[in-house]
Amino acid sequence: MRLPGWVWLALCSLSITHAIAATRPHYGGSLTVELSTGQAAPDPSQWNTALSIPITETLVRLNPRGVVEPVLSVAWQHDPDLKRWRFSLRQKVTFHDGEPLNGATAAPSLLGALKKKYANVSVQTGGQAIVIQSSEPMPDILSDLAEPPSAIVRQNDTDPLIGTGPFRITAWEPGRRWVVAAFDDYWGSRPYLDSIAIEFGAAGARADIFDIPAGPSRRILPEGIGTWSSEPRSLVAITAADANPTLLEALALVVDRAPIVNVLAQRRGEAAFSLLPQWLSGYAFLFQSMPDVSRAKQLVSKLRLGPISLSYPPNDPFRRSVAERIALNARDAGIAIQPTPNTVNNPGGNLRLVELQLTSADAAVELKRLSGQAIPLDSAKPEALYEFERSLLADHRVIPLVYLRETYGIAPRVHIESSKPDAFALHLEDVWLQP
Amino acid sequence: MSFRTKVFLSIATTAVVSVWIVAAVVSTLVTQSFERRDALRTTALVNQFQREFVRRSSEVARRVEAVADSVEVQRLALDLSGHAETSPYFTEAQTLAQEQSLDFLELVGPDATIVSSAEWPARFGYKEDWLTASDDWKSQGVFLKKEDLADGEALGLIAVRTVKAGEGVLYVAGGRRLDQEFLDSLPGAEGMRVRLYRQPNGATASDSNATVTTLPLRGRDNQLLATLLIETSRADLVALKKYIQGTAAIVGAAGVLLGLLLSFWTASRVTRPLRSLTSSVREVASGNWDTRAVISSSDEIGQLARDFNGMTEQLVEQRDRMIQAERVAAWRELARRLAHELKNPLFPLQITIENLQRARSASPEQFDEVFRESTSTLLAELGHLKTIIGRFSDFAKMPAPQLEPVNINQIARELIQLFEPQLHAAGRPAVETRLLLAEDLGDLAGDPEQLRRALRNLVLNALDAMPAGGLLTIRTSRSDSKVAVEVSDTGEGLTPEECDRLFTPYYTTKLHGTGLGLAIVQSVVSDHKGTITVRSEPGTGATFRIELKA
Repeated sequence: MRLPGWVWLALCSLSITHAIAATRPHYGGSLTVELSTGQAAPDPSQWNTALSIPITETLVRLNPRGVVEPVLSVAWQHDPDLKRWRFSLRQKVTFHDGEPLNGATAAPSLLGALKKKYANVSVQTGGQAIVIQSSEPMPDILSDLAEPPSAIVRQNDTDPLIGTGPFRITAWEPGRRWVVAAFDDYWGSRPYLDSIAIEFGAAGARADIFDIPAGPSRRILPEGIGTWSSEPRSLVAITAADANPTLLEALALVVDRAPIVNVLAQRRGEAAFSLLPQWLSGYAFLFQSMPDVSRAKQLVSKLRLGPISLSYPPNDPFRRSVAERIALNARDAGIAIQPTPNTVNNPGGNLRLVELQLTSADAAVELKRLSGQAIPLDSAKPEALYEFERSLLADHRVIPLVYLRETYGIAPRVHIESSKPDAFALHLEDVWLQP
Repeated sequence: MSFRTKVFLSIATTAVVSVWIVAAVVSTLVTQSFERRDALRTTALVNQFQREFVRRSSEVARRVEAVADSVEVQRLALDLSGHAETSPYFTEAQTLAQEQSLDFLELVGPDATIVSSAEWPARFGYKEDWLTASDDWKSQGVFLKKEDLADGEALGLIAVRTVKAGEGVLYVAGGRRLDQEFLDSLPGAEGMRVRLYRQPNGATASDSNATVTTLPLRGRDNQLLATLLIETSRADLVALKKYIQGTAAIVGAAGVLLGLLLSFWTASRVTRPLRSLTSSVREVASGNWDTRAVISSSDEIGQLARDFNGMTEQLVEQRDRMIQAERVAAWRELARRLAHELKNPLFPLQITIENLQRARSASPEQFDEVFRESTSTLLAELGHLKTIIGRFSDFAKMPAPQLEPVNINQIARELIQLFEPQLHAAGRPAVETRLLLAEDLGDLAGDPEQLRRALRNLVLNALDAMPAGGLLTIRTSRSDSKVAVEVSDTGEGLTPEECDRLFTPYYTTKLHGTGLGLAIVQSVVSDHKGTITVRSEPGTGATFRIELKA
């Protein structure tokens, strides 16, 4: 049978319409999330995962390129000395409890956050204006204000956390479960989801989104489950406070990072030779090197070493396996390292296996934060960043091992709006569910 | 050593030695018995160990076979044949080992690279070259192997199976520990302990009293990997031997005590008549010849007492006979000497009187002359007779000494002074004198006249011994409670026979001596409770030494 031309046209139109409808964001629905870690309190300063649930907001934020963008503040100025900053707050913003955002309601959060860094900072308000003043220059105040601890929140006796973000907390069981719902009075675009239920300490892979921790787990993903991985968000490294410098140099030479990344991290990371990953600094490849066991042996042969401990967190199987692998590598060079879940004092020195979180997309900010040094660094000058980082790593007090990504399992019905690509975080306000 | 001590030592020694011998024999027999028992128990334990070893080896082989046949290993082999990524299998060995209750399990790729290790998960990527270097493990089934672990080494019963993975094979090497827990599962006997030493040369017993039996444990290449140490405690034996020794010590001590008591009893029984007999002997020795031993028994000691009494009676009789004989001999000697001495002057007297009788017929002038000569001769000879008789009289009438403080040095000086003219008389070879007198000599209790007489006789003797001159020495000395005076000459000296008889009365070596001089000296010295000795050799002179109480 030969169909008429209009029928073909109608059929094509129907199929195209259906295809467009299938990829078009859909409002509504409740998303379930399972996280293997716990969260004792809904404190934004402690929320440091790639999974972004915007309950609170900051005055400004850094975009993936490290550029400051306005959020609750629409404009800001500062004096030439960078000691006085004036922020203009966004109009018609309300907290989840209906309280309007103004200088008076925002000041307590800001003052509490800034006092931790600037001892004699003061905050003055007037309507929608906030003036932050200090006796010392505050060149990094924008980066500071973009950090989660600087989020503008309100607190009362009944609600655990009151912010201005697109989601508000509707139920909360400490350490077990949160439920957040879309905030209809949000000043920006309403999120696609109506609500999100977050279970902590679960590992059943039954939710729409669940985390896949780094490490040698045998978790088999159910049929059809996709994954989302962030850019490296943390650095696993060895830190040493009192170990012999030659020993540290030998240890840095003998550690083989490839097996750690490929097997122990199951490729959910990258070999780390520097503090900042390549995506953040752009020069990390300059630090790459190959293991040199012979040279390490040569260095160690001159030493008289006692037992050395390498401590790792007791409840972290990944770092435990990394510690054991490092001990095995070190043994090849004649270094006796004892992995231990607790810090012990050994005559040969005490090493720690730590995981340093990367919280910012700004290389300079991250370098200053990781080094703990308040020195002027500019992300626009990678040469200076490189020299500074190289100086930090020169004495091997920090031996980078592996950058870890955060990986989540994603159910088939979950879609991520890709209009604002951010490889550093999975923003749940951009997630929608296939009906 | 007293008789009682001897008896005690004899009894005690006999008791101790007897007990010691019995204890040693019993101890040896007990030790041999224990050793036989321990040997049997050790053999049984070794056999049990070997049976358990075989049983566990079979079990290990079966479990490793099960691992090799598992779906997971088959899937890994399939992935390996397709050169797929093996990192997802990183923890597979731990899971499989847990399922099969294996202590060791490694999944090793065709190139000997560890894909997954249960006993040391961090070792993935390292090589197990022994699997590919030689396939001698195939012929051994299950073998002992020293496994490297993160915290040291362990000994394991290992079996290897292969699973075909494309062109190559996947090695499945698994096993169970051969450790103290394994050994503790063996049914051991009381007092036995089984231990495993992984240092082959360092196997020592934990108990110094234990008997140790070792069993070498070798690996697939016959290398000594460890030593099975079977310690059999000898605590029971040691305790029993200590008990035997303690008992022996107690019995020995009791024997010694019994010996002490027996020795007292025996000694008192035996030595009482002996002491009585000894006392009688001492009485007899002291001159009480009438003493008789008490005969208190009819045994050997009683017989001894009877014999002693008989002997004493015989001695008394013999002494009396000897005294009588000596008296007769003395009288005979005296008569002989007296006759000899008197005969010499009597003969001139007889001749003189006969001359006088014959001269009566001669002229008066001749008679007067003969008479004068004869009377002169008669007076001379009568004087001689008087002298002889005086000497005998003096010897017979030696008075008891009248003791008073006497200085011998003074007497010696006076004697030398007295004899001075005679020593240097004209026509006689000179005799030199030398006085060596001890200044600290002091006085002694004695009769000065008798001592002077005795010393004078010795000086006269010395002068007679040096007719051709010589040196006369008088030496005095004091030691302890004695005073000694020596008179020495440089004459011809005396023979030993002469020395022996020198102090016998009437014995003389001189032509005209009476033999009473030295007898008088000895008598004086004896009356002063002293002693006199002579020391001489022919040609070297003689020295007379008198020792008196100070």
